[in-house]
Amino acid sequence: MTYQHRVFGVALRMLGSRAEAEEVAQEAFVRAHRALGEFRGDAKLSTWLYAITSRLCLNRLASGERRLRRQGEDALLRLSDAAPRPDAALERRELESALGRAIAELPEDRRIVVVLRDIEGLSYEEIAQVLEVELGTVRSRLHRARADLKEKLERFLP
Amino acid sequence: MTCDETRELLSPYLDEALSPDERSLVDAHLGGCAECRGELEALRGTIGLLHRLEPVRAPVGFVDRVVAAARPRPWYRRVADAVLLPLSVKLPLEAAAVVVVGLLAVYLFERSPELQQAARGVDQRQEAPAPVPPREKPAEPLADKAPPSAAPSIPAPAEAPGRAAGARDRADTPGSQDANRQITASPPPVAAPSPSSGPVPTPASPPPALSSPPAGSSPPPAVAPAQEAKPLAKTEAPGENAGGAVRPEAESRQRTLQTAEDSRAAGSSAKLGAKKAPADVVARVAVKDRDAAERELTALIERLGGGVTQRRREDEATVVEAVIPQPRYAEFSDALKRIGSWRVEAERPDLPAQIRVVLRLQ
Repeated sequence: MTYQHRVFGVALRMLGSRAEAEEVAQEAFVRAHRALGEFRGDAKLSTWLYAITSRLCLNRLASGERRLRRQGEDALLRLSDAAPRPDAALERRELESALGRAIAELPEDRRIVVVLRDIEGLSYEEIAQVLEVELGTVRSRLHRARADLKEKLERFLP
Repeated sequence: MTCDETRELLSPYLDEALSPDERSLVDAHLGGCAECRGELEALRGTIGLLHRLEPVRAPVGFVDRVVAAARPRPWYRRVADAVLLPLSVKLPLEAAAVVVVGLLAVYLFERSPELQQAARGVDQRQEAPAPVPPREKPAEPLADKAPPSAAPSIPAPAEAPGRAAGARDRADTPGSQDANRQITASPPPVAAPSPSSGPVPTPASPPPALSSPPAGSSPPPAVAPAQEAKPLAKTEAPGENAGGAVRPEAESRQRTLQTAEDSRAAGSSAKLGAKKAPADVVARVAVKDRDAAERELTALIERLGGGVTQRRREDEATVVEAVIPQPRYAEFSDALKRIGSWRVEAERPDLPAQIRVVLRLQ
């Protein structure tokens, strides 16, 4: 279960709520367990898990119910409740909060790409595989996502 | 390459996801465009910020909850398998059930005398034909030599049809016997005193049917010596050596038997009817020593001119089946009281000339 944190992390970045993230992550593992027989050996297990998790997150975000209570974004602001070190506490908390908000404000299809690339560290090819999209689509979505983030986080940039 | 085109590629440029051609183009543009270089650095810084995000850790207990959530599945599957995987489970079960039913049937059969009694009727019918042939052979030679005196083995009264036919054939060839003798010959079957003989000695139905003298001829010696003419008649039937004195009695005996037979089974089928006939009297005799009682009983039956047709030793009783001439039946029942206390369980209202008795010695 070394993937638990990564699956949970993706769900949390995508959904913004720890409770929802845990729900989705759990569902992802249960589905993976059931469908273990369908797992193709040519893909990495992690890629397969990311694919299941991403689909669950996007489906949930796309559901009308979820769209109505968009206040979930507030939750994203409180994403990181890990206690920061005393010296850089303020700045760090501010950055985390700004990053969280910026990510939460990204359109979902860009958000997932940037999460998978810049937080989870997947390659373009792996992302294309996980999301079942063209490599060029990954590239352009990632570019737009980063450009958005850059504008919102400008004050933190050197 | 314009600045817009270049900036489109800056992100993959940083990820080294560009083709060599694209990369050299971007490099060339960046070399002469400070704005795009600034853009590139800002993008690099943004990515750096993302990397600074604290890694998220799944909540404590998450794995346990996942395992718990995943467990129900296998559990349901196991239950489903138990119910739906029939062949591996059901077939052995069904086979075992068949065996159990079979054993139960055998057990019940052995435990219930009624069933055995019913089955015995069938057995006798099957046995009847078998004993016949062997008897015929010795009978013929004996008929010539053996004196009519006493011979335990007597041709079965009710003989298989085959035998009857054979007898008839023989009757032609030897043809020596006269009509009277033929008549007397037929009765023997009635007597059927031989203890060992399997065939049912019941009221010899055959007399009328058996026109064959040869059959009768075989009966070498009649039953016991002391026996009166009546029963003996049969044995003597062969007539060859038979004492003249006996004959008349035998004939009369014969006649009574015939009438009895006619009343019971009509025409030629009389033989079969006799064989199938169930016991006329069924009685239970309480004795101290079964073996001794059996010996006494056998002696008694023979003394009265009857014959034991079958005896069977069971765990709890010795079953003796015998034929008693009707005139001697009263004497028989008196004598039986000395052997043990007996109780009649079933008795036919109109007792035939030859009473078939089934006694259970217990």
